[in-house]
Amino acid sequence: MLNIKNLEAKVDNKHILNGLNLNIKPGEVHAIMGPNGSGKSTLANILSGKNGYETKGEINFDGQNLSELSTEERAQKGIFLAFQYPLEIPGVNTNVFLRTSLNSIRKARSEKELDTLSFLKLVKEKSSELGIDEKFLSRQLNVGFSGGEKKKNEILQMKILQPKLAILDETDSGLDIDALRIVADGVNSYKNKYNAFLIITHYQRLLDYIKPDFIHVLSKGKIVKTGNAELGVELEKTGYANFT
Amino acid sequence: MKNFYDFKVDNIKGLSAQEKEFRNKELDLFIKNGFPNKREEAWKFTDLNTILSKNFVNITNDYISLKEKKLELIKEFDHNYLFVLDGKLVSNDFKFEDKNKVLIKEYDYKKQISVSNQNSLNLLNNALATGGYCLEISKDYKFNKPLVVYNHFSESIKEQIISYKNSLILNENSELTILNYTNTNSKNNFFVNSFDYLKLKKDSNLKNIFTNKDRCNCYFHNYFKSDLEQNANFDNYILSTGLKFNKIDIEINLNEEHAKSSIFSALSLDSKEHQEIKSSINHNFKNCQSYQKIKNVLNDQSKGVYQGKIFVKQEAQKTDAYQLSKALLLNDNAEFDAKPELEIYADDVKCSHGSTSGSIDLNLIHYLRSRGIPEKEAYQILINGFLSEILEKLPEDNLKKFLIKKIGRQINGY
Repeated sequence: MLNIKNLEAKVDNKHILNGLNLNIKPGEVHAIMGPNGSGKSTLANILSGKNGYETKGEINFDGQNLSELSTEERAQKGIFLAFQYPLEIPGVNTNVFLRTSLNSIRKARSEKELDTLSFLKLVKEKSSELGIDEKFLSRQLNVGFSGGEKKKNEILQMKILQPKLAILDETDSGLDIDALRIVADGVNSYKNKYNAFLIITHYQRLLDYIKPDFIHVLSKGKIVKTGNAELGVELEKTGYANFT
Repeated sequence: MKNFYDFKVDNIKGLSAQEKEFRNKELDLFIKNGFPNKREEAWKFTDLNTILSKNFVNITNDYISLKEKKLELIKEFDHNYLFVLDGKLVSNDFKFEDKNKVLIKEYDYKKQISVSNQNSLNLLNNALATGGYCLEISKDYKFNKPLVVYNHFSESIKEQIISYKNSLILNENSELTILNYTNTNSKNNFFVNSFDYLKLKKDSNLKNIFTNKDRCNCYFHNYFKSDLEQNANFDNYILSTGLKFNKIDIEINLNEEHAKSSIFSALSLDSKEHQEIKSSINHNFKNCQSYQKIKNVLNDQSKGVYQGKIFVKQEAQKTDAYQLSKALLLNDNAEFDAKPELEIYADDVKCSHGSTSGSIDLNLIHYLRSRGIPEKEAYQILINGFLSEILEKLPEDNLKKFLIKKIGRQINGY
């Protein structure tokens, strides 16, 4: 599904990614761990199509060269990034945003846009799965939301937009244990053999709830070690000292 | 240098000798000052004299309205209306109201309200104004439906100044919502210089909305002077867009206790549009409140100006006054100028002011696009979001929907 070959990335002439390789197949859950500044969020941003990076190398998604696609086209093709810091947008109603987003994607796929009623039904179902109060959806997007609410909102968006590849950028940071469990349940219930996850995290904590098939250690812009779920437990004990 | 205007009081028919004398005196004063330029504090950011001299060859005041255009009513909401063609009251319809409670007639220039201030455009208005209306609402009468004032301008007006005065009196405990709806799609250039006097008596409530139907090439200067009695409430909503030049000058005098006023503005400007709001809020009595929030979205080479003055008299203790202007600049060539001004002589007051301007946060655009929303739409969502705080405050559901849709059209392109 996702095939990254020799990816290099620079910002303001500073090298951040230095030949990263990654291969993700449908049904797989990959976790990327690594110390601060190792390039984890840069990878997520590049995959989502954020401007400002000078890149080299290849990224293929479902047989398509990702660098040829705009941010919105990537989303329309099924890439979703749960932001590390979801942004507050004053004056924009959460429900309206969700509907615009879903219908933009459906329109791009030549699917019928959802009318208000069917949309509200869908949102009600998905938000109750995540324990999100409906009132919360009539508020302005992320404005005045707590850290946990923002992260839950990201997972709600994922469940509504139904991406093929979901990238979770430190979705666990700032979550209390209950919220962490809800977020993890949200991911687990969405997981199936057709979609895939790329989970970026500092801690083993989230991986106690979402079991990864692969854990990659990213250091200085490169994957320096790949293992199974055991690797996370090991890192929790030893830290990243061996990899920096 | 040859002047680009030629105004004559003699062009106005049926004036008494006394009126002629008064008008000529005012015209002489105007000619001495000329059209305002940046030397005047009220025009700090705009040289109207130069703007007009570049766009007009010879402005005159001899236009005679010929055709009575058929009025096309707004269908989206029930309303009463006044039909004003080229400044003259043509017809009115108060079918939703008790007609005994509404007095409407042509403006009476013999009982002219004298405006003694330094504004040269008001002098010019005193000299040249004809037409206009006078509306009075009876005590305790609350309108059932809004009143739309259709300000129509004929397509044949060219190189002309149209001047008129209106007056509106809300008697005790009466209530009214007015939509000032300018309607012209003229490609010709002309200048409209109007003066409105509003008297809000005790406990009365007026909501005053400004918008226009189409884009046009004319130049507008509207001066609104208002006097508020005890517990009167006056809310203004400025939503004009698509006008080549528009200056709304609002003077609000809070003369008795608990009088309250507000000015809200949501503007989305593009091409070379120029819009100015100038306010003078005079707190002349204790315990009065005023609130101003101005939001401008500026694209292309448009220019927005906000000059907001709050004046607090020595006896106006416990004044609560607030003003904030925010501009969103979508283009490097767009311009926003703000001049907040506080002049406070009382010592127990709450007054605050602020002004910000900036461009769209590209991180927000990225966030929206990463959810599959196309770039253009992402911008529209953010612009709508920026203005929505003001639009949410609009009164009357159907009227509100109509106005929001209209602004939406401007934001999303005609």
